[in-house]
Amino acid sequence: MDDLQLLRETRNDIGTVPPATLARGRERLMRLAQAEATAQSAPLGRTASSTVTRLRIRRGLTLASAAAVFVAGVMVAADVVLPERQPLSAEAAAVLEDAAAATLRTSDPVVLPGQYLKIETKALYGSSSFADGSQMFWHRITADQLYIPADVDDEWVWNREADVPTDAAPDVVKEAARLQPIVDPKSYAALVGVFRAPGGAFGDGEQYTIVGAPKTDTSGLPRDPKKLLDKIYDHTRGAGKDPDLEAFETIIESLRTGIIPADLRAAFYEAAALIPGVEVMDRQATIDGRTGVALGKADPGQAFRQDIIIDPASGLVIGEQTVILKESTGAPAGTIESWTAVHTSVVNSAP
Amino acid sequence: MNTDAEIIERSRYGPAAFGELYDRHGPDIYRYAARRAGDFVAEDVMAETFLIAFEGRARFTGAGEAVRPWLFGIATNLLRRHHRAEARTLRALARSGDRADTTAGLLAVERRLDAPGHQAVIAQALRGLAPIDREAILLYVWADLSYQDIATATEVPLGTVRSRINRARRKLRVDLNLTLSDKEVDHGRPATAP
Repeated sequence: MDDLQLLRETRNDIGTVPPATLARGRERLMRLAQAEATAQSAPLGRTASSTVTRLRIRRGLTLASAAAVFVAGVMVAADVVLPERQPLSAEAAAVLEDAAAATLRTSDPVVLPGQYLKIETKALYGSSSFADGSQMFWHRITADQLYIPADVDDEWVWNREADVPTDAAPDVVKEAARLQPIVDPKSYAALVGVFRAPGGAFGDGEQYTIVGAPKTDTSGLPRDPKKLLDKIYDHTRGAGKDPDLEAFETIIESLRTGIIPADLRAAFYEAAALIPGVEVMDRQATIDGRTGVALGKADPGQAFRQDIIIDPASGLVIGEQTVILKESTGAPAGTIESWTAVHTSVVNSAP
Repeated sequence: MNTDAEIIERSRYGPAAFGELYDRHGPDIYRYAARRAGDFVAEDVMAETFLIAFEGRARFTGAGEAVRPWLFGIATNLLRRHHRAEARTLRALARSGDRADTTAGLLAVERRLDAPGHQAVIAQALRGLAPIDREAILLYVWADLSYQDIATATEVPLGTVRSRINRARRKLRVDLNLTLSDKEVDHGRPATAP
């Protein structure tokens, strides 16, 4: 049984509507329908409500025709003007190739016996809620630090910090805290703090942070970029609307872990350089105080864009972000819906 | 048999026809709302959903298959106003059973599925999700909407739905496992400050 099945079974015994409740709801609906029917059939001197209804119907029909025209227009334009796939920009390909070269020049940190590879992740993500009928958008921030021992079969240590609402405007933070009693760290105290697991097997055991490869052993993944990309496309087949975006996001997810060895990291960059539609978005992108080159790919509907941010000098991923391109859930276009910053170092001790 | 969209079309001239949509989808809306926020809220959400849908039906211009996500979208907006009831439901549920006394994660939960304790653990994990992520995954597993339907219902891009559900699943898997195994962690060694 997987997590989804488990959720399906949860509260599965709750919620059969009692016949009396169903009847009450129908009665309310039918009263409204009756009122409208009466108004519609009123011969002359229409009531206000029938006028409203008729206006609404007309508006609905007009919108429907406008939508049909728009769709037809787009289809024609797509046939004539747009190529089937946008090729990767030369600039983006160059950045990814440079990152691959830099990553091979930069030796991975050496973790001596007794030391740990420390991977610090800081993440910000968007939250929204209805407050008094209007929608609000704010951010929550969270951090964790993972300590991987020199011998990956030894005990890993993971410190998880609580989520807190954050935003530029203090009143938004206050309102967010009021709307979300669950942000109280005490309410999920069991999930915050220091966790330990031999071989990184927190909880259930196997942790696949890399597509098709366990966290502790990535040797089975191909280093040939084309073969690696084929494997990723195979793995993500059928998921999402755009296979290219899926592949790009899979590469980002893998790199985000901070534990990809240099030769595989270089292969991931070269594989990303084969995905159509990836563009250089910003050569001076800042994430959590560090600057790198942002490479991004928009979804087919141009509603959001997924970026990866690379330090061109070391070829290391320093973070990623999702940018909203069209106003949605109370957040204006251009809002960074979420970001994750990753920082890797070697330390002499773990908590 | 009429499609949902045909019922809406007929109801433009014969409003009583809308009752057929209520009969088709009302019980599902109720059930979804009750699982999330309790029976009291569910009655309100079910009734209000159809009153709002009825009043806004002229603006609905989609295909028959889009009616159900449209109705769930209205219900979802209404449920957002009842976030306190949902928080109460989850809190009560999280307290309802003993903490699962096991170390083996999901597999153990599967074996213990009939026991009262597992719902408490899951409720606790659900409480830890960001509301938009929880909403997306519950529309998927409790309301049986597809990703595309959820995108329609919540008026966000498909990619956003997918990333919300992925994020929820990742967090749930980790949280369920950690919650179930933290007894062992505590038992194995004295707590150490970071």
